[in-house]
Amino acid sequence: MGTSTRGIWPALSLLALVAIWVGAAAVADAEKLPGPVDVWRALLAQVETSGYFFHLGITLARVAAAFLIAMAIGSAIGIALGVSDVANRVFSGWLLLFLNLPALVTIILCYVWFGLNEAAAVTAVAINKIPNVAVTLREGARALSKDLAEMAAIYRFDFSTRLRHVILPQLAPFFAVAARNGLALVWKIVLVVELLGRSNGVGYQLYLYFQQWDVATILAYALGFIVIVQAIELAILARWERYANRWRR
Amino acid sequence: MSGLRVAIRGRSFGDKSVLGEIGFDLEPGERLALLGPSGIGKSTLLGIIAGTDTGFEGTVTRPDGRIAVVFQTPRLLPWRTLAENIAVVPGAGDLDRARSLLAEVGLGEACDMHPERVSLGMQRRAALVRALAVDPALLLLDEPLVSLDPQSVGAMRDLLTFAMDRTGATVVMATHDRREALALTDRIVELGGTPARLVSDRKSPLGRDARRDPRQVDDVYREWFEPDSFEPGGGAAA
Ligand SMILES: Nc1ncnc2c1ncn2[C@@H]1O[C@H](COP(=O)(O)OP(=O)(O)OP(=O)(O)O)[C@@H](O)[C@H]1O
Ligand SMILES: [Mg+2]
Repeated sequence: MGTSTRGIWPALSLLALVAIWVGAAAVADAEKLPGPVDVWRALLAQVETSGYFFHLGITLARVAAAFLIAMAIGSAIGIALGVSDVANRVFSGWLLLFLNLPALVTIILCYVWFGLNEAAAVTAVAINKIPNVAVTLREGARALSKDLAEMAAIYRFDFSTRLRHVILPQLAPFFAVAARNGLALVWKIVLVVELLGRSNGVGYQLYLYFQQWDVATILAYALGFIVIVQAIELAILARWERYANRWRR
Repeated sequence: MSGLRVAIRGRSFGDKSVLGEIGFDLEPGERLALLGPSGIGKSTLLGIIAGTDTGFEGTVTRPDGRIAVVFQTPRLLPWRTLAENIAVVPGAGDLDRARSLLAEVGLGEACDMHPERVSLGMQRRAALVRALAVDPALLLLDEPLVSLDPQSVGAMRDLLTFAMDRTGATVVMATHDRREALALTDRIVELGGTPARLVSDRKSPLGRDARRDPRQVDDVYREWFEPDSFEPGGGAAA
C-alpha cells in the first residue's frame, strides 16, 4: 500500500463514524443524542459565554503539572528499584499496593488530608500515575546492558557522560511507553479530580452540564479534549519517539 | 614503565571452576597471545586482567596508564555515530580527531553513520580505533579476527599490527587461531583442561617483521602444532 492511500484510511474511517453519528442522531431523541451541528452550536456558545478555552486550559495545566511530577518521581523510584536488588526487595510490595489502590480513594484522601485546593488536586493525579511510571522504568533499568556498563568503566566514562550517552538512551523507549500510558491515564483521572473538588476545568463543566442534562455541551467538551490529546500525542510524543529511534536500522 | 603481572589462583562461577592457577609476567610493550578452544575461559581471563571481573582469587598488577579493551563483540553505543562513539570517551579527543582516526582505518565515509548501519568488520575497526584513541598502556583484544570474511581478516590483521606499533602498549590477545597468534604476537600461551591452566608458554621465534611473512608463519606453525594438526576453523591465514 502506498503512503498516500494509507493516510486516507483514518480520515475515511473517521468520516464513517461521523456519518453513523448523524444517522443515529436523526433517529434518536434530540435531547439524548444531539447531532454534530447541535454540538458545534453548543461549543460556540461555550466559547462566547462560559470560557470554553479557559476550562480546557486549566485542565491542561493540571495535566501538565501532574504529568511532569509523576514522570520525575516515578522514574527516580523505578530506576532505583531496577538498579538495586535490596531496594526492590524492600519496596516492591509498596509499589504493588499503590498500583492497586483505586484512583477514587487516592483522590478522596488527598482532598481530606490536604484540603480542597490546587496542590491536593495535582498531587492526587500524580500519585495515581507514579506507580505505573515506576514499574515501567524498573523494567528499563533491569534491562540496562552490562556489556556497555563494562565498556564505560574500562574507558573511564564519568558520571554525566555515562548518564547522557549510555544510560538515558537505553531508557528512552521506556520513558516513551511510560509517557504514553501515563498521559492516557492522567487525562482520565484529572476529570474526576476536578469533578470532586474543583470549581473550574473540563471535569467541573461536565459535572455542571450533566446536572442540566445538556448532552450537546458535554459532547462539545469531550471533542475539544480528544483533539487536544491527539495533537499532543502527534506533535510531541510521536515526534520525540521518532527522534529517539533514528539510529535503529 | 612497568609491564603486566598476572597471578591468579582461581575463578569459579557458583560451583563451576573455570580458571585454575594461571600466572605470567609481561615486559612493557610485550605482546601475548592467549590460545585455547572456545569456552575454555579466555574472555573470563581477559575480564580479570581488565579489572571488570573482581570475583577471582589472586592478584593482577597492571601497567601505569590507561587500559583499552577491544571486546569480542564491538560494544559500540548504537545510538551514537562511529565518530561520536570515539569522541565521547574521556581523553580520546574531539569529533574531528575521531573522524581523522577513523579515516586512517578506511572508515572516512562511514564515520557519521550509526553502528547498526555498517558491517561487523567496520564496527570492529571502529572499536579498535576507540582503543587506540586513548593511547593505552595495556591493550586487551578478544578474538579480534573472528567471524570476519577472509579479505577483512587480512586488512584487520594489518590494522592490529599498526595499532600495537602505534601505541607501544603491552598487549594480551585472546584467540583460538594459532596462525593468527603467530602472525601478531611475541609470545604464545595455551590454556587447557578444566579448570583451565597454562599448558604451554613459548616465545615466538619470529621477529616483528618476520611474522608478516605467511610462509615463515607457516613454518613455525608446522613445527609447533602439526602433530595435532586438526583444528576446526583454523587455517584462515592460508
Ligand atoms: N558470568 C558467568 N556465569 C557463569 N558462567 C560463566 C560466566 N562467564 C563465563 N562463564 C563460563 O565460563 C566458561 C568460559 O567462558 P569464556 O567466555 O571465558 O570462554 P572463552 O574461552 O572466551 O570462549 P569463546 O572462545 O567462545 O569466547 C564457559 O563455560 C562459560 O559458560
Ligand atoms: Mg570469549
